[in-house]
Order: sequence, then C-alpha cells, then structure tokens
Amino acid sequence: MTSTAQETHEPTITRSDEEVVLDSGEREFMFDVRTQDMEVNFGPQHPATHGVMRILMRADGEVCTGAQPHLGYLHRCAEKIGENVEWLQYLPYTDRYDYLAAMNNNLGYSMAVEKLMGVEIPRRALMIRTICAELNRIGSHLIAFGTYGLDLGAFTPFLYMFREREWMMALFEKICGARLTYSYIRIGGVFNDAPPGWLSEVERFCDTFEEKWKEYCDLLMVNHIFVKRTADVGVIPVDMALDFGLTGPMLRGSGVDFDLRKDMPYELYDEIWKDKAFEIPVGTGEKGTLGDCWDRVYVRVMEMMESIKIVRWCLAAIEPGPVIADIPKTLRVPPGEAYVGIENPRGELGHYVVSDGGKVGVRVRVRGPSFVNLAVLEAILPGALIADAIAIIGSTDIVVGETDR
Amino acid sequence: MDFQGIHDRLQAIQAPGLQGADEPREPDPENKKDKGRFGDPFVLVDAKLLPAFLQVCRDDERLNMDLVADFTATDPAKDDENLWINVQLLSIGQKHRLAIKCMIPKANAVMPTSVPVHRSCQWHEREAAEMYGITFEGHPDPRHILLPDDWVGFPMRKDYEFPEEYHGISCK
Repeated sequence: MTSTAQETHEPTITRSDEEVVLDSGEREFMFDVRTQDMEVNFGPQHPATHGVMRILMRADGEVCTGAQPHLGYLHRCAEKIGENVEWLQYLPYTDRYDYLAAMNNNLGYSMAVEKLMGVEIPRRALMIRTICAELNRIGSHLIAFGTYGLDLGAFTPFLYMFREREWMMALFEKICGARLTYSYIRIGGVFNDAPPGWLSEVERFCDTFEEKWKEYCDLLMVNHIFVKRTADVGVIPVDMALDFGLTGPMLRGSGVDFDLRKDMPYELYDEIWKDKAFEIPVGTGEKGTLGDCWDRVYVRVMEMMESIKIVRWCLAAIEPGPVIADIPKTLRVPPGEAYVGIENPRGELGHYVVSDGGKVGVRVRVRGPSFVNLAVLEAILPGALIADAIAIIGSTDIVVGETDR
Repeated sequence: MDFQGIHDRLQAIQAPGLQGADEPREPDPENKKDKGRFGDPFVLVDAKLLPAFLQVCRDDERLNMDLVADFTATDPAKDDENLWINVQLLSIGQKHRLAIKCMIPKANAVMPTSVPVHRSCQWHEREAAEMYGITFEGHPDPRHILLPDDWVGFPMRKDYEFPEEYHGISCK
C-alpha cells in the first residue's frame, strides 16, 4: 500500500438505498462499505496451508477478490531422480510425495512398472496390497478430516483421529518396520508376508474403528457450527470440476459417481465390486448446495467405512501363498511406455513410465492429484470470505509434498 | 470402448491432426536386436492441432473424453531431435482412456496452448514449459510454477547441465 493509493482510494461508507425492516419493527440500515483492495500473503507458513504453500490473495475488506497459489517450496525433483536411479531404487522416493498415503504411492508406481514387465502377482500379495492401501486410505482421510476440523476451530476431534491413526501406523510398523514411508509394496508383490497375528489385529482394528467412526460423525459431521461453516461454501459445479480435471473426493463431492476402483478396476477391485462388498459415496447436497465443502468432507468420511468393508472382504478371502513374484534383483524393464492411474485418497495418482529396456528409466512422470486439485482454488476463492477461504483450502485436502514433488 | 474402437471412431470423424496409432508388439523372433514394444497403445497427433483434437475428443458423443488426466512432456534421449508431448485423456461417462503423443522438435519447441479447451492443462503446461523449454502460444499465465522465477535452463532435458552455484550457494 502506498500513500498515494490511500489518498485516492479512501475507504468510504455510503448508506445503501436498501432499508430492511425487521420482524420486531426496528429498521436496520444496510451499509455498503467500500475499502481499498489489498494483497495478502496467505502462507507459506500458515498452518491452514497444510505444508509450505503460499497463496497470494487480493482482498476487498473481508471478501477475497482474487487468489493465486504459488507452489514449489517443497520441490525435490522427484521426476528427475526417476531418470537417474534404477527402477527399484526409485521406490522409496514414491513414499515421499503424498506422505500421508505412502502405500498407495508404492502401489501406483509398482503397478506402472509391472504393466511394462507383464508380471503376474501372487494372489496373497494382491490381498495384502489391497488391505494396506485401504488402511492407508483410512489413515489419510482421518488426517484430512481431523485437520479440517482443526482449521475450523474444532480441536478435540483432531486428537481422537490421531488416536486411531496411531493404531493404523502401529499395524504398518509391524508389517514393514516403518511408520510413514513404507516402501512395502514392491514391484512384483510385497516385501514380506504379514507377521503371525497381524491379520487378526487388523480385524480388531476394523471392529474398533466402526464404533469410533460413529463418534466422529456425531462430533463433526452433524455439528451445527461445522455445518454452518461448510455448507454452501466453496461450491464446485460439475462442469468446473471436469474442466479442471478434478478427481477423487473432489469430483465425487460434486455429485459425479466416478471411482477408478469401480469404473476402471485394477488388481482385486473388480472382484470385490462384483461381490457388492463396497459402495461409492457421492455428494448429495444434503446440508447445502451440491459440491460444497460439506459434501467433499462427507464423501471422505463415508469412504472410510467403505474401506473397512474392503479390508473385511480381503480378510475373509485371504489364503496362504507366496507374496512376491520371481523377479530379478536388478530389473531390466522391457522397452515401452505405460500409464497407470489408481485411486489414491486424494484422487487419481498417475504414473507414466517410459523404458528403453535398460536398468534406469527414461521417464518417470507422476501425476499428483493434489497438484491438479489445487488449481481449482483460482476459480472458487474469488468471492468467498477470508474466513471461508480457510474452509475451502482445507476441503481440497492437499498434501504439499505431492503438489511440488 | 477399447483402443481399436476409439481409433476407428477418431478416423471416422476425421479428428484433426490424427497421424496414426502405435500399438505394443512382441519382439521379432528373427531379429535378435528387436526387443519389441510393451505397455499401452497410443495415438500420434500433430502438435499444432492438439487443441482442436482435444476439443473433438471432448465434444464427440461416443468418445466423450471430458477430463485431461495428465499432460506432460518427455525427452526420450540426448541425441533425439524431438520432445514428446504426452496427454492422457479420461472419459468419465464412457469409462475409457486414450493416450496421445505429439512430437515437437527440440530446436523449435513451440505449440499452441490447450487451456481454452481444458483448464486443467494450465498448470500442466506451465510445468512442461519450465522443465522442457516448450513455448505454449497463447497461454494465459506463462510463469514458472515449481521452479524459482530466475531459474536458468530446462532441468528435465537430458542435456541439462547442473548449475554449480545458485545465488552464492554452492551446488557441488
């Protein structure tokens, strides 16, 4: 703000023509307050950006009139690294883009390389992969939901959700030794078999989680304040969602019934879907307009329960057997190119891999759902209140590690 | 629709810029040097006509490719003359995918922008532009996206030389 700007754009208060007569008979005057446009830096260290991201916002008083996300603070050259390390060596890097859903990232990358190699994965490995991916989806949605409550001022649910997530991470620690960056799902299967008693503990987790899940719904989803803050806020119509290439809960929140697990099934999901073991929750506009923040959160919360159903299906069907296909330690991937998109907690995680037949990839492209979903902010933030901007950014559920890769 | 069906449909409606298709094949048993090609089939499209091609794919009833899942570039080799543009289309209604590849010469990497057709291309094109040095004509916001504004060179090109220092910080 320069002084000349202030002189020419003095805040002015004018009485608008409109007068409102309240029920009690009192008259309330609507004041039309005009202020100077101001540019505000939202981030890079603001807690509600969920990482290191900056949004340059133009605000007219309390109303946001323009928004421009600036990313790249966490850029770690994942794709360039993919062209310089061997196929198997790249696997740990996949953990690090969407660090809340590392199992799903491992799965996406492994599937892309397997598609080129044409390996057949043992059935037990597919089962364990599905269980891990779905458990990780629950963990990821728990964070999304918990931190969203935190953004809107509800602190307690966040702590409850970390309690359940802790158990989920302990389960992963038992199966692979790591709590966040697993590298457990390998090209050809999984790293090792589940330890004795692990599967029954997963079942206990499912039992407990179902009860706790009801608590969350009572605590937040139907909470009057929460509904007031999220319903009718940040509405994304279907055309806009498709134009911006949104996927995952962002797209389903707008009422589009599309989930890669159902519509373009991979691995075991075809079988599970045909068994009618799970459903795809879609936004309904129950509390406000279709495609608002509440709908997106609703989709995530309902999805957690569907993941539990998928895990239960796998637990019932799992049988002993090998967990990794016979592949050499040093992979030479046949020449060609393949694109595999899988349903990550945040949307379609795509891996486009190109090989020339050597030990090192020619191209490893990562299509991160957060990166694509974030772009829609430019379109939906203008017109929203600054306080609602927090609600809108939280509802996109981005992981900055993935937007920047 | 499977790939063959999509390709036939593209030919039937005379999609602009369609140059052909490339399908995976097994290695030739008589030629020991031939390793074959694996993975996904794709269609080859003229880069200059890519926006029109995407529009036709989106508006045609039977193709109905309403979503650009991915838009990226690839540098196949150091001594290759061309860069690839790789587009992955997805149809929500018809539940099929189509992979597109365009070739653009490294010496003159210029092509029209696809943002008017799909806004999702905006950020993807910005990323491809800064990483591969491709100019998208008519792009509404051609700034860097992941790299700092003053970054020199195109890091994802195979002939990229790593900088020795950045603002006085040694990178060795």
